[in-house]
Amino acid sequence: MGSVIDEERRKLMRALLAGAFGLAAKPVFATAEAGAPRERAPVQKGLVARGRRERLLGENGAPDAAKLEDALGKAVARAAGDGGPVEAMRRLFKSSDVVGIKVNCIAGRGLSPDPKLVGLLARWLVLAGLPPRNVVIWERTDRELIKAGYAIQRDGSGVRCFGTNDDYEKSPREWGAGGSCFARVLAEEFTGLINVGVLKDHDLAGVSVGLKNWYGTIHNPNKHHDDGCNPYVAHLAAFPLIRDKLRLTVVDAMAPQCHGGPARQPRWSWPYHAVLVSTDPVAIDAVGWSVIEARRKEVGLEPLAKEKREPRYIAEAGNLGLGESDLSRIRVEDV
Amino acid sequence: MSDADLDRRRVLGTLVAGGCAACVLARLGVSGALAQDAGVGPPLAVSPAGDLPARPARWYKKLDGLRVECGLCPRKCRVADMERGACGVRENRGGEYYTLVHSRPCSLHLDPVEKKPFYHVLPGTSAVSLATVGCNFECRFCQNWEIAQARPEQIPAIDAPPARLVEVAKAYGSPTIACTYTEPVVWSEYVYDIAAAGRKAGIRTLMVSNGYIQPEPMGDLLDVLGAVKVDLKAYTDRFYRDTCKGELKPVLDTLRLLKKKGMWTEIVVLIVPTLNDGEQEHRELAKFVAGDLGPDVPVHFTRFHPGYRLMNLPSTPVPVLERAREIAMAEGLHFAYVGNVPGHPGNHTYCPGCKTVLVERTGLAVTQNRLVKGRCPSCGREIPGIWS
Repeated sequence: MGSVIDEERRKLMRALLAGAFGLAAKPVFATAEAGAPRERAPVQKGLVARGRRERLLGENGAPDAAKLEDALGKAVARAAGDGGPVEAMRRLFKSSDVVGIKVNCIAGRGLSPDPKLVGLLARWLVLAGLPPRNVVIWERTDRELIKAGYAIQRDGSGVRCFGTNDDYEKSPREWGAGGSCFARVLAEEFTGLINVGVLKDHDLAGVSVGLKNWYGTIHNPNKHHDDGCNPYVAHLAAFPLIRDKLRLTVVDAMAPQCHGGPARQPRWSWPYHAVLVSTDPVAIDAVGWSVIEARRKEVGLEPLAKEKREPRYIAEAGNLGLGESDLSRIRVEDV
Repeated sequence: MSDADLDRRRVLGTLVAGGCAACVLARLGVSGALAQDAGVGPPLAVSPAGDLPARPARWYKKLDGLRVECGLCPRKCRVADMERGACGVRENRGGEYYTLVHSRPCSLHLDPVEKKPFYHVLPGTSAVSLATVGCNFECRFCQNWEIAQARPEQIPAIDAPPARLVEVAKAYGSPTIACTYTEPVVWSEYVYDIAAAGRKAGIRTLMVSNGYIQPEPMGDLLDVLGAVKVDLKAYTDRFYRDTCKGELKPVLDTLRLLKKKGMWTEIVVLIVPTLNDGEQEHRELAKFVAGDLGPDVPVHFTRFHPGYRLMNLPSTPVPVLERAREIAMAEGLHFAYVGNVPGHPGNHTYCPGCKTVLVERTGLAVTQNRLVKGRCPSCGREIPGIWS
């Protein structure tokens, strides 16, 4: 056991010395199977793990590193089975995978996935045996990443971090109700995905938890905002490029926002001190929505349905078989 | 150089350029060269994709909670802070609305005015033609989708303030500047400023549009524009909704407004096999034009080619276009054309009275212009249009 830990520590040290998160001993590149998803990942349908800690978020708005690692680690482990987070990553990904960690940073600092949280996920992937270069923190644009506190790292052998910018496929693909060019890195390089959203209200979609984040992978998100983004969000999440590669959804719910999104409006955010994790991309959205609604009620806001912006796409995603949308059949396990 | 040589060069140039999609190829490199060759100062600066300077938008209203409602097109996008409208080029920043594309065209080219197409506006002349990214429709057959359906950060742009465009037009001897390729409605602030600057310098500004715009901004634009071409995508709301993500009625309202304001207008109808190629639809469309706009409004029935998200249909059979033209003429329209079919007799302008060929075209080039001060040389009939 000790030797395993030592080995993991050595891997971690190498990773930490390279690039954004580490310096690999040797450069590693995408394998020949790049772009092709592995077999469908195991999904614990209807299970959402919640890691909640008192004062997880400090007074200064920064998370307590030790509490975050504990809460997130246990939630990741529970969502993917048992054991620790590294073991969970091994269960979800192969060491040859190229994993895109899609973050949602449109709102900048304070309402984007915390870089420390994302860094932990990257670290666990590396500890699970993925070459650091095969781990990519990724968003729509470099600009959005930088505004949210990430450092761009395109080259080198360490963990990479960059935006799609203008690098989309040259031809559109039909994905149900919509048609778009997808980020080339998603189509051609990633074999696995982790979706990292932030829990917030969204003026058009109702809420933005995990599913809505996939709008950041297509060249024309603004064309799919009609009718509360329904069924577009669900159809996009069901598209094989995403559905077949997605293994895990993580939601930064340390300081959610119950109104006024997607931009940051501090008056509507509150300390919830939690992270949500699931292999069921629909259940985690349903739970996130319920958290938002509960807070809205607490502060005297109307339910989203009253404002005619309840996120109907969540049920649509359930209907498409992407996961469980019925809260009565969803288990939230506190870890 | 003889006129014949000039015509030949023009024909070759236009044939090489091909249809509208080719304009996309004219991005940047050509654009910079255009300004430099014209001897009008330093080349236009190229901004990389991702650079997003903003200018205050003109047509919108503020709502509660830092939201705004766009006042440009009938979609009336309600836009939350940090979000954009459906066009992708107008952004809410802290409750103020901005355009991200003013003075930032991604395409700039010197085209024959026939390419717009305008057949009754200064035939045989060139138009400095430009586009920024963005559109308020999403036509499944969009020929310029690489720029029309993009967001500003995805496409490099040129720094081209209105005054520079006017300088370029004058240097090239172009009597017009055409706002075209994508949808000028979504960059109306820029269109307005170009047209205002052009007007002072004697340069007309042409707008090539889907006509999906609110009356107020359209009315403002009409104060400064020289002519408008409207793509009437079909004559059914179903086509607009299913194929374009738009609506028919506001477009018809725009056409009526253009008529009311006396703006020179031409109409293009792209006929797509199985979707808007019914004879009854063409008849109703022609009746609308003849009745509400008048028989002198030119209507171009143009040929569809597969593109963007509509790849499963064939190009429009030429007889379908010919039949549409026949129907339009039978319903009383004086100027119905067949478009996107180079060399077709339906490209020419005929005198509605004596049927003399007045303007002969090959591809996008004018090979003969027999008009005399805007009149038919045979019967003397006045031909509507802008001829000088």
